[in-house]
Amino acid sequence: MLSFVLRRIGQSVLVLLVVGLVAFSMFNFVGDPIDNMLGQERTQEDIDRLRAQLGLDQPFPVQYVRFLQEAVQGNFGVSYRQGREVSEIILERAPATLELAMISAIFAVVFGIAFGVYTAIRRDGWLANFIMSASLIGVSLPTFLIGILLIYLFSVELGWLPSFGRGEVVDIGWWSTGLLTESGRASLILPSITLGLYQMTLIMRLVRSEMLEVLRQDYIRFARARGLADRSIHFRHALKNTMVPVVTIIGLQLGAIIAFAIITETVFQWPGMGLLFINAVQFVDIPVMAAYLMLIAVMFVVINLIVDILYALIDPRLRGADA
Amino acid sequence: MLRFSSAVALTLSLAASASAEDFKFAVTTDPQTMDPHAVNSAPVLGFLNNVYEGLVRRGKDMSIEPALATSWEPIGAGEGWRFVLRQGVTFHDGAAFNADDVVFSYERASSEEADVRSWFASVTEVVKVDDFTVDIMTSAPNPIFPDSIANWMMMDSGWAEANDAARPDKEAGNFATLNANGTGAFQITAREPGLRTVLEPHGGWWDTVEHNLTRAELTPIQNPATALAALISGDVDFINPVPIQDVARLKQDPNVNVIQGIEARVIMLGFDQQPGAAESGQGSSDLFTDAKVREAVAKAVNVPAILQTIMRGNAEVASQLVSPAMRGFSGAVSPTGYDPDAARALLEEAGAAGARVELKCPNDRYLNDEAVCQAITGMLAQVGLDPVLDAMPVQNYWPELRADNFDMYLLGWSPGTFDAEHPIRFLGSTPNAEKKLGSWNFGGYSNARVDELLPMIQSEIDDGKRQAMLDEVATIMQNETAYVPLYVQPLVWGVRSNVSLTQRPDNFFILRWVTVN
Repeated sequence: MLSFVLRRIGQSVLVLLVVGLVAFSMFNFVGDPIDNMLGQERTQEDIDRLRAQLGLDQPFPVQYVRFLQEAVQGNFGVSYRQGREVSEIILERAPATLELAMISAIFAVVFGIAFGVYTAIRRDGWLANFIMSASLIGVSLPTFLIGILLIYLFSVELGWLPSFGRGEVVDIGWWSTGLLTESGRASLILPSITLGLYQMTLIMRLVRSEMLEVLRQDYIRFARARGLADRSIHFRHALKNTMVPVVTIIGLQLGAIIAFAIITETVFQWPGMGLLFINAVQFVDIPVMAAYLMLIAVMFVVINLIVDILYALIDPRLRGADA
Repeated sequence: MLRFSSAVALTLSLAASASAEDFKFAVTTDPQTMDPHAVNSAPVLGFLNNVYEGLVRRGKDMSIEPALATSWEPIGAGEGWRFVLRQGVTFHDGAAFNADDVVFSYERASSEEADVRSWFASVTEVVKVDDFTVDIMTSAPNPIFPDSIANWMMMDSGWAEANDAARPDKEAGNFATLNANGTGAFQITAREPGLRTVLEPHGGWWDTVEHNLTRAELTPIQNPATALAALISGDVDFINPVPIQDVARLKQDPNVNVIQGIEARVIMLGFDQQPGAAESGQGSSDLFTDAKVREAVAKAVNVPAILQTIMRGNAEVASQLVSPAMRGFSGAVSPTGYDPDAARALLEEAGAAGARVELKCPNDRYLNDEAVCQAITGMLAQVGLDPVLDAMPVQNYWPELRADNFDMYLLGWSPGTFDAEHPIRFLGSTPNAEKKLGSWNFGGYSNARVDELLPMIQSEIDDGKRQAMLDEVATIMQNETAYVPLYVQPLVWGVRSNVSLTQRPDNFFILRWVTVN
């Protein structure tokens, strides 16, 4: 078991190194940060001086190794744009993204399971059919379009909800939350729906098909024969058995929600890490881009590592031949 | 009923105006620093003009007017300028403003760490004569010196030194990056970079208050659709810019006003005029060293048609490298005019018909830049050239231009000094790194007479003689088609209809001219 875990960790580190390498080789194509950092009246001399100062005159493997050396000591450098520590900026932006991801995930899970169960039980009802057709929107429309449509409907036309931003936030230590104020909660609604809609649809369809599968099983038929109430059959016997694959998917999708918050954050001007990353790309703020990409990579790797270890604990066959 | 409800609305708005006027404004680019000397960029200087002040400032019509100096006059035969400072001015923290702050602000802004130090290239020394008189000595007579320092903002020496910010630090940041202490009409009460910046009126401001704001909040919104939605839904009171294609629709909305004008920025085409092998992999080598071919391009581009279709009538044809609102604008030249037949004839004559040319273009720098380049490509094809368009994000664009990878390119130029001398220095002079000339002259345009006239223009005190020389340069550059000036970029702001404000061609949003009704 230990060797399995160590091997997995070794592989994870390798994945991180490769992600970093790919990211750094891409930075050459994002453009040149120099022109943004120097004004109109810059001279070639200024350009050369700044480039040398930032180490941009070095080939990218050198820049990459230098980044790694600093990163393992927890130093991600200083943002080209803001002139502040990158770790400080990311820490400041993380609560917004994590809060949004959490609310979206709750929304996706609650509504996904509820709709999934309902559409499975009332397979031919008109409402179930309507939900199934409507859910196609969730999978087929791109996120930014859904976001813009929601803004148009609920902010511009109806004027019920704010069109952008996080509203008033309350600071609790280094964490900032919008959940404690009315404007903060109102601001969360549209972005959460936008971000969670795809995951909700996914969970709903998964629950529905698993549920339909389970409902055909013999033990359900026998339960019915025993004269158990529908409610008890559906929720105690059927739903429980559909949850195993659903829980796996939810775990994996959590990483996706945080990573794909980029688009939702851009549309709603949500002050999280995704928006920070997009702005960094526009400004060629390499330290911020590098730190963000590494952070997302670490997150995915850790989630996958935990899932792998859990599987191995559950199923000894996966521990490998030499275990 | 309608009348009743509007009466109620009027009463309500009257009641509201008695209480706090909270003004929210959105821009695309967050000012990256609160340090007025660290960065020389329009978003930073434009925003900080509300917080800091210079010796002089620009009025609603861009003219220079007294600010922290009450009067100024040249010293002797142009050895420098004497500024008499305003008395009784206080910084936001209550400290008094005097000549020491001017000397300190000069040392800070002209230091190695400051991006704005090029403004002081001609300054040799700043001398404190007494507490409220300062002499600024220049190496040569400099008639437009007061114009060139309108954005040179005064910082309190005591405050900067106490907070360890006596020099700007752009790379690592310091206290002045996040905090501000100016003499301006507004002070910063909260600053969260990239999220929001909150301003409140400075109680001890020296000038008469025109605005009625009690609080203003700046939010950067990068996505144009989001900004537009925020304006229409009333979540913000002001956005800049409004996407050109949404102007017509926005004008239909009774709650929103669109404020249009022209910016200081002139959009133009530049050419690779350096002889020698083609540096661009695609283009023909020495095509544009021939002035006839350049002239043919100027005649081939139908600027009015571009403005009508792509800019939807929101821009003005340019005749030279500066807009008519700038000092030193030349009346001696007029736009070349669209003449495809003449263009075709010129190309035949130069033996350039059918030649392949590559037009480089940014796609996220100027308003509808890529669409304009596409139109130009079509027009060049019509007169018998074989153009290819290569459009890219601006971060990739400047390195391409610096590496000379182009035959033609699109450039916008907004003169920092609002004077016609500025583009001559940066675009018209033969590139010379040592003298810091022609640093944006990517195509290598060179004319000995222009080079000779520039220092004379820079030091000519007499306005008439100066204008004659500026006219001469404008004429030379047009006759040789150094560049093809296309149009003056439009300025489109969107505001809620209960807001009145003043739009200035430099695209600076000045809060002290805002009133909310």
